[in-house]
Amino acid sequence: MPTPRENFAPRIQVFAPHKASLPPLGPYLREFWRRRAFAIELSRFADKAEYLDSKLGKVWLVMNPLLLAMVYFLLVTVIRGSASKTSGLSTLAHILIELFTFYFASNCINGGALSITAGGRLILNQAFPRALLPLSSTISAFWQFLPTIPVYIFVVIIGKVFFPHTEIPGLGFNYLWAPFIILCVGMTGFGLALIFATMNVYFRDTNKLLSYMTRIWLYSSPVLWRPEILHGWQKIFLYVNPLGPTLSATSSVWISGKSPTLYELLGCLFWAIFAILIGGYFFVSRERDFAVRI
Amino acid sequence: MRSASKAELEMPEELAIRIEDLSIKYKINVDTKRTLKNAVMRASKGEKVRMRVVEAVKHLTLDVPHGSVLGIVGANGAGKSTLMRAIAGILPPTEGRITVNGKISTLLALGVGFNPALSGRDNIILGGLASGMTRNEIEEKTEEIADFAALPDGFIDMPVRTYSSGMYGRVAFSVAVNMTPDILLLDEALSAGDASFKEKSFNRMRELCAEARTIVIVSHALQTVNDLCDTAIWMNKGTMLAKGKPEAIVDQYLKFLDVGALPSAFEDM
Repeated sequence: MPTPRENFAPRIQVFAPHKASLPPLGPYLREFWRRRAFAIELSRFADKAEYLDSKLGKVWLVMNPLLLAMVYFLLVTVIRGSASKTSGLSTLAHILIELFTFYFASNCINGGALSITAGGRLILNQAFPRALLPLSSTISAFWQFLPTIPVYIFVVIIGKVFFPHTEIPGLGFNYLWAPFIILCVGMTGFGLALIFATMNVYFRDTNKLLSYMTRIWLYSSPVLWRPEILHGWQKIFLYVNPLGPTLSATSSVWISGKSPTLYELLGCLFWAIFAILIGGYFFVSRERDFAVRI
Repeated sequence: MRSASKAELEMPEELAIRIEDLSIKYKINVDTKRTLKNAVMRASKGEKVRMRVVEAVKHLTLDVPHGSVLGIVGANGAGKSTLMRAIAGILPPTEGRITVNGKISTLLALGVGFNPALSGRDNIILGGLASGMTRNEIEEKTEEIADFAALPDGFIDMPVRTYSSGMYGRVAFSVAVNMTPDILLLDEALSAGDASFKEKSFNRMRELCAEARTIVIVSHALQTVNDLCDTAIWMNKGTMLAKGKPEAIVDQYLKFLDVGALPSAFEDM
């Protein structure tokens, strides 16, 4: 018969009251990283479960923002008056790429906000860093965002065939900034998801509030309007918005064909790190409560 | 959860779980609806949130050696499930300390968060990953777990929403016992399945004990406690009232309940 010491991979864990509001961060982050496969698979399986019975399900993920972009494009061109065909395509391209990017962030937040309350049984049954659940929603949002890029490229190529003198740039080194900007959007979205996921545990109507907030946030972000319309002190509105610098940088890269400005890059980085730090603190310092409050 | 310092590693080798002066208190919101709207309304009226402090476990000290089966009995609200969640690292202690030596597998709330739209096989993978196994480890075990659950032909690849409650419980139980845990925590999880599956479950648990693994069982089925456990504790209102041989503890508990040896007290409900 095997002896205990042969059988066990000795792994002593100590559960004690935390002196500060945060658990020891080193072990927490190590465990978070070790279990990242769980977040990835949870996202994959959640996706599979959602679209199992619907062959058009994943198509709608792209169609929804695409059709919405068309509606907004019509509204913007009607309100602004007749635009030339070339600037019209540029406006459409701007709305498309910004709306896709905005949707990426809002999907991170909306999915993340519900992730803890929806994962109640998992939380009551297993000990794992709870931040893996909002991370899983962020991964899902990323996989939903990814197919929108080829859709954008397809629309622009078709547009350029019909309107060769359009202002939208061709291939250039500016696109090398795109992964950095997408990473910043994901980090900002994840950080904000951590905040709203925590709030939703304490106040179950947070997600309802979130739907209104998202709409207001969309109109106040440079999605339906170009960031260049802001001058001087007005740019403050761009930088106090957590998605302002990333959406402005997106516009620079995809529409203006330029590298993002230093201010845009710093703004992206600031909001990504700030959201993770504040969201992480808010979430991790309260996650021990989740099993009691769910 | 945190890794142990050198001083904390001084736990005797023969122990799987050491609980030292453990107390767990938590606050619960007395208001029925926890919404932002209600919070704003209360704040506008100057009302405070009504909270109640629950002392779920009070100054509990207990050692559980490797290879033993500990049964926990007690009435509803005794603190049994809270204690199990604290051992699993799900609920933090308010005072005291729990030291656990080994990999823990839990079956504390029936269902373990299965996604009803996914197949049993997908849920096995997800359950394994949630309990800390790697993708390779769980893939190696999937067939074994599926075989143990012994579902009717083809059910393992069908959505869990098509399962009966017994089939659901069998898959959950199979995942928990086949993770090669060092410490297995089961809270009212032994009523899954029919008599044949129950016998199979008991045999599997005996195998785990023979491999010097540790099992902690919370059950209202007192016959199960008598059959499987080599030690039992009786908890009441957060306090451990007695510890000893299962038969003696069950007798004391039944006298306390003043129900005598009713058959219903010994059966799985």
